Amino acid sequence: MPSQRQLKSRVRSVKNTKQITKAMQMVAASKMRRAQDATKATAPYTNSAREILAHLAKQGETKGHPLFEAREIKNRLLIVVASDKGLAGAYNSNVSKQYLREVLADRKENIGTKSIAIGRKVTSFVTRLKDAELLGAYEDLPDALEGHELRAALDTAFNQFTNGDVDAVDLIYTEFVSSVTQVAKTERMLPAGSIGAPESDEIREAVFEPDTETVLTNVVYRLLNAQLFQAFLDARASEHSMRMLAMKNATDNAGDLIEDLTLAMNKARQAAITQELAEISGGAEAMK
Amino acid sequence: MKFELVTLAGIKVDSDAYEVRVPTLAGPIGIFPGHEPLVSVAKPGVIAVRYAKSDNDDKLEYFAVSGGVVEVTKQGVRVLVDEADHGDDIVEAESKAALEKALKMQESAKSQVEIEQAQALVDRHQVRLNVAGLRRRNRK
Repeated sequence: MPSQRQLKSRVRSVKNTKQITKAMQMVAASKMRRAQDATKATAPYTNSAREILAHLAKQGETKGHPLFEAREIKNRLLIVVASDKGLAGAYNSNVSKQYLREVLADRKENIGTKSIAIGRKVTSFVTRLKDAELLGAYEDLPDALEGHELRAALDTAFNQFTNGDVDAVDLIYTEFVSSVTQVAKTERMLPAGSIGAPESDEIREAVFEPDTETVLTNVVYRLLNAQLFQAFLDARASEHSMRMLAMKNATDNAGDLIEDLTLAMNKARQAAITQELAEISGGAEAMK
Repeated sequence: MKFELVTLAGIKVDSDAYEVRVPTLAGPIGIFPGHEPLVSVAKPGVIAVRYAKSDNDDKLEYFAVSGGVVEVTKQGVRVLVDEADHGDDIVEAESKAALEKALKMQESAKSQVEIEQAQALVDRHQVRLNVAGLRRRNRK
């Protein structure tokens, strides 16, 4: 049994830990609220772009367009989105697991896999894998992302696909379903599928400048950018809510631990007192 | 007519406007009420907006935008861009410093990727600097 003093110092150290985890929980909670609001921001952009795309698809413009062409998949590019920091529960390992599943599936089918990693944790995971081809790594991106920050990653993916270096581009990220549910998932980016959207009458009579193909390529590029952007925002919102939950659990556990340790400490103190009293009365008895 | 400036981070502007000037791949265009329906591709550059017909040039508002898509309908104009910075938010000195830094980066770039990244930065700050310059000229 540990001594009273040892127990006392352990209680103190657990109390400090509890304070830290509590602070991290609060920070994550406020960041989560902001990130959650931000996930809704891309909707108007995506909807407008989809409307134009739906119209072009109806005219048959997407047929034979290189970005819509489904080729036999020999090489695949995976864009993985996770976080720079740990202590977010199973957040990073869920994404890494999903990534590993995709890589193993590719190996079985003899498909070459290339990767782009966003976030420090997942970057180090990818580089540890044997013969992983990492095309780019992006770290320290801010929460309040601006449109241009992911463009380098998108351009790489775009060029790889149009050059024929890869035949498909997939996105792995954590979807933010609600503050308690987040799912790591894989989403296809290229070849672009036809996206159904309600078409307004307005656009039907529109003139396309300089020509429909240029407009189409640009609209698809915007949509992909929006998709990547959205995935990043979802990933951030998920990260913060998972971190909040993980830190809440840690705080609760620290509380339990403090209770147990305090009980043990009190017991040890009482035992010492009892022992001392027994010794005194034993001594008094012997003097008689 | 309605003017909407939609960016990835949300709707930046949603109001009535009399004139919108947009740089497109086919050259700069000015859009007034009653323009024929059109879908075009916007180049990185400066969008100028005149909100009311009676506004002078010094009341024009400028936005530095990256590339995007312009959609003109009977109701108005919708511009989809990755990002847009309002002229008032751009500090000329900062942009100038950033541009110089980007140019330096471009010189010292080793790989093709680095050159492209630097070029994108140079373009971006060049546009911002243009907006800052325009604003200054008109305010004088």
